[in-house]
Amino acid sequence: MASDTDVSLLVIVVDVNPIWWGQQAHREPEFTLAKCLDAVMVLGNSHLAMTRSNKLAVIASHCQDSYFLYPTKKSADNGGDESSSGDGKYELLSATNNQMAEEIREILSKTEVRGNSTDTLLAASLAKALCYIHRVSKELEVGQEMKSRILVIKAAEDCALQYMNFMNGIFAAQKQNILIDACVLASDSGLLQQACDITGGLYLKLPQKVALAQYLLWVFLADSEQRSQLVLPPTAHVDYRAACFCHRNLIEIGYVCSVCLSIFCTFSPICTTCETAFKIQLRQMVKPKKKKLKQQM
Amino acid sequence: MDEEPERAKRWEGGYERTWEVLKEDESGSLKSSVEAILYQSKRKRMITSHNQVRLGMVQGHRNTGNIGLLPILLKKLMRHLYVVIDCSRSMEDQDLKPNRLTSTLKLIEKFVDEYFDQNPISQIGFITTKNKRAEKLTDLAGNPTKHTTALKKAVDTVCGGEPSLYNSLNLAIQSLKHMPGHTSREILIVLSSLTTCDPANIYELIKTLKTLKIRVSVIGLSAEVRVCTVLTRETGGLYNVILDESHYRELLMMHVKPPPATTSSECSLIRMGFPQHTVSAVMDRDAKPSFSMSHLDSSSSCDPGLSLGGYFCPQCHAKYTELPVECKVCGLTLVSAPHLARSFHHLFPLQTFTETPVEELQGERFCQACQGELKEKSMFTCPSCKNVYCMECDLYIHDALHFCPCCTHGDAAR
Repeated sequence: MASDTDVSLLVIVVDVNPIWWGQQAHREPEFTLAKCLDAVMVLGNSHLAMTRSNKLAVIASHCQDSYFLYPTKKSADNGGDESSSGDGKYELLSATNNQMAEEIREILSKTEVRGNSTDTLLAASLAKALCYIHRVSKELEVGQEMKSRILVIKAAEDCALQYMNFMNGIFAAQKQNILIDACVLASDSGLLQQACDITGGLYLKLPQKVALAQYLLWVFLADSEQRSQLVLPPTAHVDYRAACFCHRNLIEIGYVCSVCLSIFCTFSPICTTCETAFKIQLRQMVKPKKKKLKQQM
Repeated sequence: MDEEPERAKRWEGGYERTWEVLKEDESGSLKSSVEAILYQSKRKRMITSHNQVRLGMVQGHRNTGNIGLLPILLKKLMRHLYVVIDCSRSMEDQDLKPNRLTSTLKLIEKFVDEYFDQNPISQIGFITTKNKRAEKLTDLAGNPTKHTTALKKAVDTVCGGEPSLYNSLNLAIQSLKHMPGHTSREILIVLSSLTTCDPANIYELIKTLKTLKIRVSVIGLSAEVRVCTVLTRETGGLYNVILDESHYRELLMMHVKPPPATTSSECSLIRMGFPQHTVSAVMDRDAKPSFSMSHLDSSSSCDPGLSLGGYFCPQCHAKYTELPVECKVCGLTLVSAPHLARSFHHLFPLQTFTETPVEELQGERFCQACQGELKEKSMFTCPSCKNVYCMECDLYIHDALHFCPCCTHGDAAR
């Protein structure tokens, strides 16, 4: 059993890709970004209400950058002198909700989508979450232990260009025993499936988006020790096959360049990424026996 | 040492006032000065590792998303390393607690864990030497559990006699010379004795090592020995002598990173298999339990033997329970894509951030990664995206993360 002073930190990374959510508003008007953030607030409040020593952080992952919705620097500076809510709610919870709402409003109104980068910067948000967890773990008092986990709520599709950064983030999380859970709203994400498998977290593709709050509370609220007591969705089968660099097909047997680790499906004498020529193993030629030619004068 | 004959002897110099390095802060604690010392040593290590020669250019590696040429560090990522542990009489010395042998074996167990974490597709083997002979403790293998069990059992060995450098190197050469050219062949010797008993001329063996391109490094536990200096210099390895246990750990961990490769080394395409993990539930009627090939040889009773799921080799359908492994039936190396991904950060290391004093920053002083205030005197800026980080985040980013949190895939020009 965890003692009273053990800290459990939950970092929620929410995908607020404006393009996906804009299209979503047309597809399904009953599930918008506001409803999604409501569900996230419910989960955050429940987590904070479980034990006094629980901590929360929320990061919004945008196309340009990722922003902390809670805790923000302004709250640290002000010292929390917002007006207390009038309906008798626990002050910490109402302050959290107000901050998150204010920040997301500011972010969405002020940032513009520049250039042609329309993919969510998930790897960057993961890195910021890990740095935040690292900082909080350094600020603990002597004798306190901390268990942390990251919950990623993903809306838009995977961006293959972030593969390497994402994998580096996953290995860093695995080293520190940080679980990565994933709640996917629309299409399956191979990257997040690998992340959950490697770190030991849970992966869930929502059958019904409208019931997001229910799924979040059921599956992702409990921490790792309590999860063995609950009946949770079964683990998905993760495809660990590599994709070849030439055709992007999934292959079972491939050729790997020893210099740059690029994977090819067929043998070629030169690696296209690092342009090194490969040494080809030639079979030993059997030299034909020299016949003595009769010298014809 | 040969290179500095004119250096004054230690007693000829002035007194070193080592106590003046530590300064107390207002509350009387030494924590800040200890942290500053640790920080300086970390920075030094980071800077030296970044000064390695960058060779080779990679054309827009698709996974990094960078279009155009990026510099890539040439490194041999498939390593074959033999660790030679000296078990001679000097290992019973108690200057390392409880004795040198126990301390060495404990540190080497941690080394094995780190080694397989950073180099998942490499192999390691162990050789012990005592009584003027050398014998193999474990063969070259890619599975860490076999090595750690053997090391744990080796704590009880009786140390005696003299080590033999020649015999242990010879034994290692027998297996290493058959390894393909694109892999690295390395030997790491932990030598505590000041003597060695060799049946033949060791300088001839050094010439053989050079032609076979085997890199030998030595960690000395007592003092510097000339033959080791020559050995490491000729083969291109490192030679260090430990000061105390923490220095010993640091020296061991230096060998975890893959060594740089020369441009003349061979590069080849390695044929590898990427098996799928099949998990069949007990309810599945077609599920047939089968033996795993790796458990056929082992006689441990804790393994159930028969299991339903596992990894099937794509070429011969032999079953294995864990990766990476070399298929015993058809010889194909089986890995999974994350194993290759673990080695990427060796090839594309993150550049060092520039250190500037905090006063130069206008506006709010907070770290972009952890949102904390910049409390130290200096801040770190990423050269590509110009974002500011605090010292803790800088260390964490370079040690564990290996990528800048604010560099988006479009802007990063590494």
